[in-house]
Amino acid sequence: MRIITLALLAAASVALAGCSDVTVYEPGVYKGSSDPLVEDLRSEELRSALEDRVERQRDR
Amino acid sequence: MKLTKKTTATNNESTSALNGVLGRAIDRRAFLRRTGLALGAGAIASALPPAMMRRSQAQAAREMVKGPIEIKRSVCTHCSVGCGVIAEVQNGVWTGQEPDFDSPLNLGSHCAKGASVREHGHGDRRLKYPMKNVNGKWQRLSWDQAINEIGDRLLDIRAKHGPDAVMWVGSAKMSNEGAYLYRKNAALWGTNNVDHQARICHSTTVAGVANTWGYGAMTNSYNDMHNSKCMFFIGSNAAEAHPISMQHVLRGKENGAKLIVADPRFTRTAAHSDQFLRLRPGTDVPLIYGLLWHIFENGWEDKEYIRQRVAFMDEIRAETAKWTPDVVENVTGIPGEDVKKAAQTMAEHRPGTIVWCMGGTQHTIGNNNTRLYSVLQLALGNVGVSGGGANIFRGHDNVQGATDFGILSDTLPGYYGLSEGSYKHWARVWDVDFDWLKARFDDASYANGPKMVPAMNLPGITVSRWFDGVNETDENVSQKTSLKALFLWGHAINSQVRGAEQKKALEKLDLVVVVDPYPTHTAVLPDRDKEGMYLLPACTQFETYGSRTASNRSLQWGEKVIEPLFESLPDHTIMYKLTKKLGYSDQLFKHIKVNGEEPLVEDITREFNRGMWTIGYTGQSPERLKKHLENKHTFNVTTLKAEGGPCDGETYGLPWPCWGTPEMAHPGTHVLYDTSKPVAEGGLNFRARFGVEYQGVNLLAEDSWSKGAEIEDGYPEFTSDMLKQLGWWDDLTEEEKVAAEGRNWKTDLSGGIQRVAIKHGCAPFGNAKARCKVWNFPDPIPVHREPLYTSRRDLVDEYPTYEDRKAFWRLPARYGSIQAQDFSKDFPLIHTSGRLVEYEGGGEETRSNPWLAELQQEMFVEINPADANDRGIKDDTWVWMDGPEGGVIKLKAMITNRVGRGVVFTPYHFGGWFEGKDLLSKYPEGTHPYVRGSAANDAFTYGYDSVTNMQETKASLCQIRPA
Amino acid sequence: MARMKFLCDSERCIECNGCVTACKNEHEVPWGVNRRRVVTLDDGVPGESSISVACMHCTDAPCAAVCPVDCFYTTDDGIVLHDKDLCIGCGYCFYACPFGAPQFPQKEAFGIRGKMDKCTFCAGGPEENNSEDEYIKYGTNRIAEGKLPLCAEMCATKALLAGDGDMVADIYRERVLKRGSRPQTWGWETAYKEA
Repeated sequence: MRIITLALLAAASVALAGCSDVTVYEPGVYKGSSDPLVEDLRSEELRSALEDRVERQRDR
Repeated sequence: MKLTKKTTATNNESTSALNGVLGRAIDRRAFLRRTGLALGAGAIASALPPAMMRRSQAQAAREMVKGPIEIKRSVCTHCSVGCGVIAEVQNGVWTGQEPDFDSPLNLGSHCAKGASVREHGHGDRRLKYPMKNVNGKWQRLSWDQAINEIGDRLLDIRAKHGPDAVMWVGSAKMSNEGAYLYRKNAALWGTNNVDHQARICHSTTVAGVANTWGYGAMTNSYNDMHNSKCMFFIGSNAAEAHPISMQHVLRGKENGAKLIVADPRFTRTAAHSDQFLRLRPGTDVPLIYGLLWHIFENGWEDKEYIRQRVAFMDEIRAETAKWTPDVVENVTGIPGEDVKKAAQTMAEHRPGTIVWCMGGTQHTIGNNNTRLYSVLQLALGNVGVSGGGANIFRGHDNVQGATDFGILSDTLPGYYGLSEGSYKHWARVWDVDFDWLKARFDDASYANGPKMVPAMNLPGITVSRWFDGVNETDENVSQKTSLKALFLWGHAINSQVRGAEQKKALEKLDLVVVVDPYPTHTAVLPDRDKEGMYLLPACTQFETYGSRTASNRSLQWGEKVIEPLFESLPDHTIMYKLTKKLGYSDQLFKHIKVNGEEPLVEDITREFNRGMWTIGYTGQSPERLKKHLENKHTFNVTTLKAEGGPCDGETYGLPWPCWGTPEMAHPGTHVLYDTSKPVAEGGLNFRARFGVEYQGVNLLAEDSWSKGAEIEDGYPEFTSDMLKQLGWWDDLTEEEKVAAEGRNWKTDLSGGIQRVAIKHGCAPFGNAKARCKVWNFPDPIPVHREPLYTSRRDLVDEYPTYEDRKAFWRLPARYGSIQAQDFSKDFPLIHTSGRLVEYEGGGEETRSNPWLAELQQEMFVEINPADANDRGIKDDTWVWMDGPEGGVIKLKAMITNRVGRGVVFTPYHFGGWFEGKDLLSKYPEGTHPYVRGSAANDAFTYGYDSVTNMQETKASLCQIRPA
Repeated sequence: MARMKFLCDSERCIECNGCVTACKNEHEVPWGVNRRRVVTLDDGVPGESSISVACMHCTDAPCAAVCPVDCFYTTDDGIVLHDKDLCIGCGYCFYACPFGAPQFPQKEAFGIRGKMDKCTFCAGGPEENNSEDEYIKYGTNRIAEGKLPLCAEMCATKALLAGDGDMVADIYRERVLKRGSRPQTWGWETAYKEA
């Protein structure tokens, strides 16, 4: 009995060995690499530069 | 399980194109459907996907190139608006474009062409090195070999047949320095056979307008249209030909202006109009008289303005009386009520401006059209007023400059003409001996109409008929022999008509030299059985530097963006090499420093500053122009005047006339003929060019003068004698007196006469009236004449064309003998042509740019549904178009209501096909444009303006049948 | 700060395709892929009207909602971007998008469709800002440099505007007020002419 249990445990641990880096499917959550721009766009400096830039599209 | 990315090899199979979401029925150009299959296996280098694939070398500039970004500022090479281009260059590679927000002309904006100029820095399909045609194949040769061979052939032809056997066709895409040098070269070679695109574009404008009030250029500017209350576009599709101008036009609309468009087609410009008048091609004169009829009938004309500043309006009234509303409706096809409404709108919304382009100029009566448009504005008092004027939109980026510098067969630079006095003036400026110069020309005299004129003073052959100059027999040409050699220097041939005859001519010539960044349609059209055809790679304006003149007469200095690609060279360097071989480069470059083989551009600018007194290209020194380049942002966008800053008080680009020497620092003239300002600040009045009186009519202005003029009346042009009479002679410095003695405002090389006249508030060119009657033209008062090929046979007797004539621009010219034949049964459709926004001119350059070529992949004809159904033609199917002279082209049918029944329209930008056959295999390896197609002008016909020899490409006939 | 938006003022749009080629130029977009297109209604007849369309950067983006591999993400100010490394080219976003923004290169990985490509509001992709990888896959990242989409910055008539939605709306509102009660489109006078 113990041998079967141990054997099953061993088989299970081998089978599950590669599963540490599995992506668990969460619908709607972005799975890609993170974009540094997302954080940059939270900075006041960049946001204000972009706001100023829109003015160039106004008729002068 | 982890989701991993896969890598795969490139899959080269073509796939079926995805249809656009909104389908073809709505989108005219439907480029979503045509996603490249039409091009077959033509190795489109750029069709690699963005993700994960290696870019082709030519494309992925930025990824390959590291290094700091240098900014270079140039000017778009595609049209006369003169949009600023900001180029980002890294390690000599053009890697990016940024909007030139600071430019007051385009404010950062671009159309499809301007937004794609960076492709010039890739230049996949460029002509890369000199080539010559040997037994139908293109062989590469070195520059030195090419120059030697070409030079030997030229000298041989000169010895056997004289200098007039060579035709030098130049380019509207040369810089001012290049254009000036080119014209000078033709004079030193010894011929007046030198011409360029202006001939087939606005030659009738320049002749017509200059002969009405003094100068033949755009009177106001694109920006000034913000001030207009009414804008009348006739024969101009600015939305496609001058897209950035529409920014200014639409701003004008938002300021309350009314927009009226007269065109045979409901163009994209008409789509923004308040009123659209669908006009039968070739009936501009009746329409304008129709408007004048209402204006005079209701007393809407500006009587005081006419009394002071216009002569012979009464003769216009007399002609107008014949054009009653029902007559106008019969001839033009426009309902009488609509003409009345347009006239009333114009009368009630002043100042108003008129804009015309090829729709008005490209006719046998083009000069009548342009004069009558001007007369309309004179009647309304709209000339010389901000928001008014004759806003002629010129074509290529430097056609204004090339015209001003005289790449024209009837004048030297500056519109001085071809008289002995003109040559003497320029001989002084060039510091060449006049007798030496004279000896360069054939000394015999030849017919010019009924008179005999020495070759040196005889207007040469025009580019519109260069091939007739080749094909005609020697007896019929007003020079020693027909043409034996042709330079097509920056000029396409598919923008001229009668392709089959051009083909013959190219096969007959002993020497054909194409100098161009691209091989052009010229390279593939002929089937020559002898050697003597060469292709020389010229570089674009982005690979050199210099000044170019926009349509509003502003000069802009462009910096060099990148070094010339492959083995291409700038125009001025090629001219040095060639003339060195020909033996007169020391004369051509006498006062122009040559570094190695490259002439110094600024020295050329300075040389023309010393000679271009007639139109005031004297004040725009390189230094002043570069200062404007540095300070674009300081110029007001509506007035174009610098408000503070280093250029304070100057007008952007120092638009000519920029009087006097650079030291005098004239600010340039924004609005021409504006008497509300002093001449010193850009004010003016009409030019005294036609004498002081004619048949008892006083031609000088009455009770009208520019602000602050000390002569409060009309006055003739300034001469040294006149200065003495006025007691102003002693205002000249001693040096100026020496130069000015016995001379006038045009020939005084010190500029003193101009300076003193302006000091006293006067215009150097006098103060006169505009004249509605040009007594030396075939039709002194503009009249209507039916096009040579017309479908209205019932009108031919009442409005016949001219009689055939001999020795007109050195060739016999037919008019009546063609119109006498009735072609309307076999060729019932009126054929007119025009532009597309994606392409420019002959099209080889823009069709070689994949970003543009993708948007317009096939040559087509716009045909009305009724006409299509009458012929069993379905949309987007192949058809043949037959012209009445045997020209035949194959193209796609586009069924649209844009054209009215009985009228068809073709874009003229396509080339690389002949009589339905794609000439792809005849291009030098790797230089074929992405898109090729039939040349519209192959189906167009004979017909030349009665004054300037402009071709009649807006009103011909054709038939269309399914292929 | 408001969300980033495009606005195309069709009163000013002249169908010049400047926006289309500016985008091609800036991002080296290959033949067959059109991130931005100009759509014309009533071509050639009175009432003709054009508008420039690309990705609308929807707040509740249908493309993101349907993507089976969740390769989409949105910045705080509303720019919708995606990770091409994750994209499997299934084309479902193409089904979902009401504007036809997703594009698929003709010749490519995955046979008929390659990786989905679309307008990025000139904000690149997940790679390091302005890196070579980002350029090869997505084009330039102007936003990171404080610049706005080139299509709008180069629009021939300033019909196409892009940037902070509030400011874009302000520019447009100013124009509408200037135009007063007379829209410039053909037909106004037909509809409302005096009796």
